[in-house]
Amino acid sequence: MTDTLYYQPKSVDEALQIKAELGAEGTFLAGGTDVVVGIRKGKLKVARTIDLSQVPGLDGIRRHDGFLEIGAMTTHKALEQHDVPAALAQSCETVGGPQIRYLGTVGGQIGTASPAGDVSVALIALKADVELRSAARGTRRLPLDEVFVGPGKTVIADDEMVTRVFVPLGRRSDFYKIGKRDAVAISLVMAAASVGPAGDVAIAIGCVAPVPLRIKRAEALLDARGLSDEAVDEAATIAREDCSPISDHRGGADYRRAMAGTLTKRLLSRLREVTPVKAKPAESSAEVA
Amino acid sequence: MTNASGVEEQTLTLPSEQEVEKLRAAEATWSLSFTLNGESVELMVDPTETLYDTLRERLRLIGTKGACLEGECGSCTVLLDGKPVTACLVTSPQVQGRTVVTVEGLAKDDRLHPVQESFIACGAVQCGYCTPGLIVSAAALLAHNSTPSVEEVREALEGNLCRCTGYTKIIDAVLEAAGDEPAVMSVGGEK
Ligand SMILES: Cc1cc2nc3c(=O)[nH]c(=O)nc-3n(C[C@H](O)[C@H](O)[C@H](O)COP(=O)(O)OP(=O)(O)OC[C@H]3O[C@@H](n4cnc5c(N)ncnc54)[C@H](O)[C@@H]3O)c2cc1C
Ligand code: FES
Ligand code: FES
Repeated sequence: MTDTLYYQPKSVDEALQIKAELGAEGTFLAGGTDVVVGIRKGKLKVARTIDLSQVPGLDGIRRHDGFLEIGAMTTHKALEQHDVPAALAQSCETVGGPQIRYLGTVGGQIGTASPAGDVSVALIALKADVELRSAARGTRRLPLDEVFVGPGKTVIADDEMVTRVFVPLGRRSDFYKIGKRDAVAISLVMAAASVGPAGDVAIAIGCVAPVPLRIKRAEALLDARGLSDEAVDEAATIAREDCSPISDHRGGADYRRAMAGTLTKRLLSRLREVTPVKAKPAESSAEVA
Repeated sequence: MTNASGVEEQTLTLPSEQEVEKLRAAEATWSLSFTLNGESVELMVDPTETLYDTLRERLRLIGTKGACLEGECGSCTVLLDGKPVTACLVTSPQVQGRTVVTVEGLAKDDRLHPVQESFIACGAVQCGYCTPGLIVSAAALLAHNSTPSVEEVREALEGNLCRCTGYTKIIDAVLEAAGDEPAVMSVGGEK
């Protein structure tokens, strides 16, 4: 391979081959809204760029087998304009301004692994899975919340890329973001929740831990006891207990912790009020979860 | 050299234009072709430079402004395949084979785009730094939606900051320009 610093593969296989050879030296470039800003701010060192813009077949949204399949290069704007679950649409609408939403992609949002990733929080609360692919080992599929291990850290291997996201259909969902202003603002705290056709609940909260946080203890409680007032209150208490927020220039840890509870309660109460949609039941995501 | 108050004076020597050109040419190892304002362009770029740099520094299209260079302010907004994006976040090789329209490309023949006309008529410009980006964002909106509500105009301009005007006259100008026939409003390059 030549010593170019910038690669523009024309297929997924070629991209994976280059990535396998470069390993940690190679950085995928999708919409660039994190990569280019990171380089500019001096926070990100990129030795070699693997530009995915000329790779066909990585974007697009389709319904298949009870899931919404979203290609990694699908932009936030494309999702917002498509018929997708409520929490996903709402999270995409709140990312940056229109120019950022036309560039930023789902794959990039996952690759960035920010605890403030609005779309990641919505996807986790929708019990989404991620498909990872490498040249050597083919594909593997795992729940999105198991992908994140810390700010900017994931279990994605050095030779792997995100190829698709699978969102189970038929879940009612909602998303709520608190930011400093309405547009182009990173979240101060944000949360999403969903209820499945069988009544199972999922909750995720952003900006309150090193990763977008799934509140599994609260989910288990609600699955056992339903969305009664008391159970919802207890779930909110658990959300406050299970988070580990920090204070920064956007807001204090105490405020974030309090809001983790408030948003949990608000989302669950709203989901309870809405009459259940007659959703096509999702193929059980248990087999992959 | 020391000045009257005893402070060492620095003489600043700027590189000549030829020297700058030479440096840029040395970095330009990537061959790029795309459609710019209706014409096909082929040139050599540094693959790590942004579309903002290529437009302004190599192609001398200085209508596109830059303030933050981090995607926050929208002053560098251009249309990529008909969609508004911040040119400071796009690497130039990403536009290979695609269509870019800058503020310079909105006028047709000798006629300004209706949004440009109405920005002048409504006094929506003060210092003018944000204006090209706002006009491009507004033109993108009106190309799809010829009769937007105030709310839709606000949403379309959400990613563009203006430090001078307070936005009222900008929104008035976009609403004023709305309603023209689609042919006039077309911005081209849409996929
Ligand atoms: C002004 C501004 C405002 C913003 N506001 C918000 C906001 O409100 N909420 C929010 O959540 N985010 C926000 N963001 C962040 C950003 O837009 C998102 O994180 C976006 O989803 C990143 O996608 P991208 O395609 O631009 O990623 P890129 O910058 O191209 O890549 C990001 C990371 O993911 C990796 N990557 C990309 N694609 C893949 C792939 N297929 N497989 C594996 N790794 C991959 C890259 O190597 C890189 O490490 C904002 C950014 C800006 C500049
Ligand atoms: S200069 Fe590009 S968004 Fe500010
Ligand atoms: S007119 Fe000065 S920034 Fe908008």
